[in-house]
Amino acid sequence: MSEFPALTQEEFRRLCEFLYRRTGMVFTEAKRYYVERRVVERMLETGCGSFSNYFSQLRADTRGEIEQIINAFTVNETYFYREDHQLQCLTADLLPNRIRKKSQGEPIRIWSAPCATGEEPYSIAMWLLENWPLVDDYEIEIIGADIDTAVLEAARQGVFGKRALMRLSPYLIAKYFSQVAEDKWQILDDLRGSVRFGEVNIVAPGETRPYGQFDVIFCRNVLIYFDDTSRRIAAENLYENLLPGGFICLGHTESMSRISSLFEVSRFTDAIVYQRPDQHR
Amino acid sequence: MPLIRKPVTDTRAQGLPTVDVLRGLASADAEERWVAARAAPEVEGGADALVTALRTESDARVREAMLTSLARINSSASVEAILALLRSDDASVRSGALETLRVMGSAMREHLPRLLSDADSDVRLLSCEITRGLPGAEATRLLCDLLVRENQVNVCGAAIEVLAEVGQAEALPVLAQCETRFRDTPFLVFAIKMATDRILAQSTRHV
Repeated sequence: MSEFPALTQEEFRRLCEFLYRRTGMVFTEAKRYYVERRVVERMLETGCGSFSNYFSQLRADTRGEIEQIINAFTVNETYFYREDHQLQCLTADLLPNRIRKKSQGEPIRIWSAPCATGEEPYSIAMWLLENWPLVDDYEIEIIGADIDTAVLEAARQGVFGKRALMRLSPYLIAKYFSQVAEDKWQILDDLRGSVRFGEVNIVAPGETRPYGQFDVIFCRNVLIYFDDTSRRIAAENLYENLLPGGFICLGHTESMSRISSLFEVSRFTDAIVYQRPDQHR
Repeated sequence: MPLIRKPVTDTRAQGLPTVDVLRGLASADAEERWVAARAAPEVEGGADALVTALRTESDARVREAMLTSLARINSSASVEAILALLRSDDASVRSGALETLRVMGSAMREHLPRLLSDADSDVRLLSCEITRGLPGAEATRLLCDLLVRENQVNVCGAAIEVLAEVGQAEALPVLAQCETRFRDTPFLVFAIKMATDRILAQSTRHV
């Protein structure tokens, strides 16, 4: 790493502006060391002898370099109760809003896509059981979907390591998991039975349709990886999968407003989310 | 437990519903037009049908789906259809068209010299942004060609901002010339200095 000089001020700014526009990730001067370290790692990995060469490769997305640098800057792991301010928003604002429009007996449908190994949909189930007083009054359907069949199988098994559980209290772990090995915990059958999983590619036009329409969709930290056309296809798919007035939660660096004009921004105390308009405009 | 589970449906073999795209695009019902617009790239003749329908589509949501489908098709014909929308009286149509052209990348390249010379300064300004996706040398050449003849300050500002990211050393004399021409326009002088500094920093550092 020492064979590469640090980025100049101008190179740093150029890179940060590109990353913001392409991915929504914001880096200020305070994060300079963090950014430099990862960029130099990528330069070494790609064999680029100068920042200029590396930046050209990044802009052209040669050999998927944009995905590589996003991975270098993001936490490539999922865990229970990640970004739980959105779960707080779910029970404080989104569900109360949705049930006002529901007739008796109509279920609440929540979709986690992509769901990876299941931490997110199981988190939603646990959060509702723990934090929503009306949870017994409604039928709530939670579905996890992902393009990767291997992670879906892991999600169905529901066995997690210590890191995945790091945000959960001992109370929650004791209540919803059984320890199956020294560092392995499995979601209890009851909770596993409350989430179903299926395969989906959210950038394939129409492929999401068979899942039906949802009240709330969690689609976090995936749009950031797609090119512009794929993002627009995904946005149209997700629009179709939302009930009129339904909400979509994205990752904290993602903005639907920069992808599509199909949704309206909804600002709540705990989170900014996007809403399918009740009426077509 | 109140949370419920239903049998998993195999979704892979399904997709967009089978629709008569030509009939759907002409439907009076916006929902039918939306579905047809999304299905159009999958059917023969879909691109031509989209181009025709786009000329009269009044629903913003359906228009966005049509533009996305034309971007998926990404042909010369779809670019031409979207270019025609740049003359629309509706600003949202114009900006939607330019945003779509921006995402179309390679299919757009041959049209950029024409767009950057367009009589409408809004088209020239937004076209500068499209060059951002090109390789540095190509973008530099196109933007320098524009800067040497451009008199509209906002268009120059847009070109210089893109050069600050993608510009190469060949842009330096053009930027200097531009600074002289616009020395009484402080925001351009500032933008030129920033772009020049960044290009110089890149040009003088090789490991």
